[in-house]
Amino acid sequence: MKKTNYKWSVLSIALIAIFLFGMIFPFFWILITSFKPDGEIFGDGAYRIIAQNPTIHAYIEVLFNKGILNSVKNSFIVATTTTVYIIAIATFTAYAISRFDFKGKNLLLGTILGVSMFPQMIVVGPIYNLFLHLHLTNSYAVVLPYSTITLPIAVWILVTHFNQIPLALEESAKIDGATSLQILYKIVFPLAAPGVFTTAIIVFIAAWNEFLLTITLNSDQSYHTVPVAVSFLRTQFQILWSEVSAATIIVTIPTLIIVLLFQKKIVSGLTSGGVKE
Amino acid sequence: MKLFLTEDRSHVTALQDREKVDRLLQDVQAVSGRFKNEKGVQKISRTDKATLLQLYTRSTAVINDLNAKYHTPNGKNLLQIVKDYKKSFISSNFIGLKGYERALTDARLGLALWNTTLFTVVSVFLEFVLGLGLAMIMNKAFRGQGLIRTTSLIPWAIPTAVAALMWSYLYDGNSGAVSNFFQAIGLVHNSSDLLLSGSGAMMSTIIADVWKTTPYMAILLLAGLQNIPEGIYEAADIDGAGRIQKFFRITLPMLKPAILVALLFRTLDAFRVFDLIYVLTNGGPGGATETLSLYSYKTTFGQTNFGYGSVIVIIMFVCVAVIATIYVKVLGTNLMDKS
Repeated sequence: MKKTNYKWSVLSIALIAIFLFGMIFPFFWILITSFKPDGEIFGDGAYRIIAQNPTIHAYIEVLFNKGILNSVKNSFIVATTTTVYIIAIATFTAYAISRFDFKGKNLLLGTILGVSMFPQMIVVGPIYNLFLHLHLTNSYAVVLPYSTITLPIAVWILVTHFNQIPLALEESAKIDGATSLQILYKIVFPLAAPGVFTTAIIVFIAAWNEFLLTITLNSDQSYHTVPVAVSFLRTQFQILWSEVSAATIIVTIPTLIIVLLFQKKIVSGLTSGGVKE
Repeated sequence: MKLFLTEDRSHVTALQDREKVDRLLQDVQAVSGRFKNEKGVQKISRTDKATLLQLYTRSTAVINDLNAKYHTPNGKNLLQIVKDYKKSFISSNFIGLKGYERALTDARLGLALWNTTLFTVVSVFLEFVLGLGLAMIMNKAFRGQGLIRTTSLIPWAIPTAVAALMWSYLYDGNSGAVSNFFQAIGLVHNSSDLLLSGSGAMMSTIIADVWKTTPYMAILLLAGLQNIPEGIYEAADIDGAGRIQKFFRITLPMLKPAILVALLFRTLDAFRVFDLIYVLTNGGPGGATETLSLYSYKTTFGQTNFGYGSVIVIIMFVCVAVIATIYVKVLGTNLMDKS
């Protein structure tokens, strides 16, 4: 019995390792490529794991000449703002949908879902016209239409999580004299932390990665976010592969830090023991 | 017209004919008076159109009559002017359901629909299976859990536009690491097949999509896994349930709401896939990876055919709405239940 258990765990660890390797390999390869001089990216040097003449030229170029740091700053502002306001709105919406009975609840959920049913490039046109008339192009107001890509999923995730919090906890809080708002922020919100932080990660990354809206609404280079800035790393005739890889590495790091911080809150057992069953 | 007609009037000798010309002149005067202050394209009612057309027929008749009887200086020109007048009617560009009629017989649309469906079904299925596995790994409490969670989210943290560019380098027929690896293990005959053959291109886009969004699926399912109380598993242990039994009898049913949300949003996203394919293959080779959104993009912005582009979008919307309804009906029964 012991022996098979041991075998089993070795096998599963090996499987997990292969799986994770597959997930990381492309990123790893880009990391390697970012240190290669242009001549080694295509042709014979392409399969070398360590470049013959490693160089950090691409990093220097991207960081100091192409202003990638400014776009990292922009992305950071845009993604953080979106995360905060979307979580706030989605919490209220989801709590209302989850806890209160009102007419047209399913219709509301369906409409929220409907927002994410249209291809984005069709939605972009009208939004551009709107922004042009409101003089909002080339500003951080681009976070407003971001809600079309992030709000639906945020609301849906939070509804499923709020539904799983035992009602008894809230009822006892009510008996102790808590108002609805207090219940939401002191009981439901902390207990739904795994859902809330999952939502936060998803919203943050979705906003960080948004491309089409930013490139359409903010044509001014000083407002470019990371994906847009990377897409401009090309000349008329070629894509600057080494710079693209270097930029990819640089812009992925901030998101990973955010994920690392947020994922700690995705823990189980918050509600266990809260209610005697 | 008035000018020319008045000029010609002096050449008309018979009294009867003169009267005709005068009456016509009056009518033309009346009509032009009505539209005098209007500019640009006017919308006219059906009765207006009838009167105007009647005027046209009458003036043509009169002018033809005059031309037959007399030799006037402006006879031929007049006819042309009157003809031009008829041409100035622009029929409405409202085409009703013709766009949809065209869509029904459009083979390219059928292919795009098939590609989209194939892409969606295969990639969402793979993402779901792999994502569930990944979520269960991430859910286990062990040292380095944070590290595994974070590293496995890397693919998803890379912007799609950038990731697609990255994959196009990895799939490159000459210098791509992945294409070379696939050739070495015999998955493809030639490393350039990955992007340049129909089935290869479809496979490549699916792999890239699965790689990119499996972590997304995993984190959605992970949050759901966290909500399953440990106590249930303990109770199942006491009852002597095995690993597989626990998975199918406890994990999956308890995970239903999370699965619904994950599958629903992934399917909607996959069905609308755009930037990945746009960068990797641009729908090629020979339309083998052209999806509905790409087709609509090409029609709308490439051919500036906004009408037909919108038809495709609406067809997409209907498909997506049907998919969403099916999901909610099949999996959503307990979405509204309270614990």
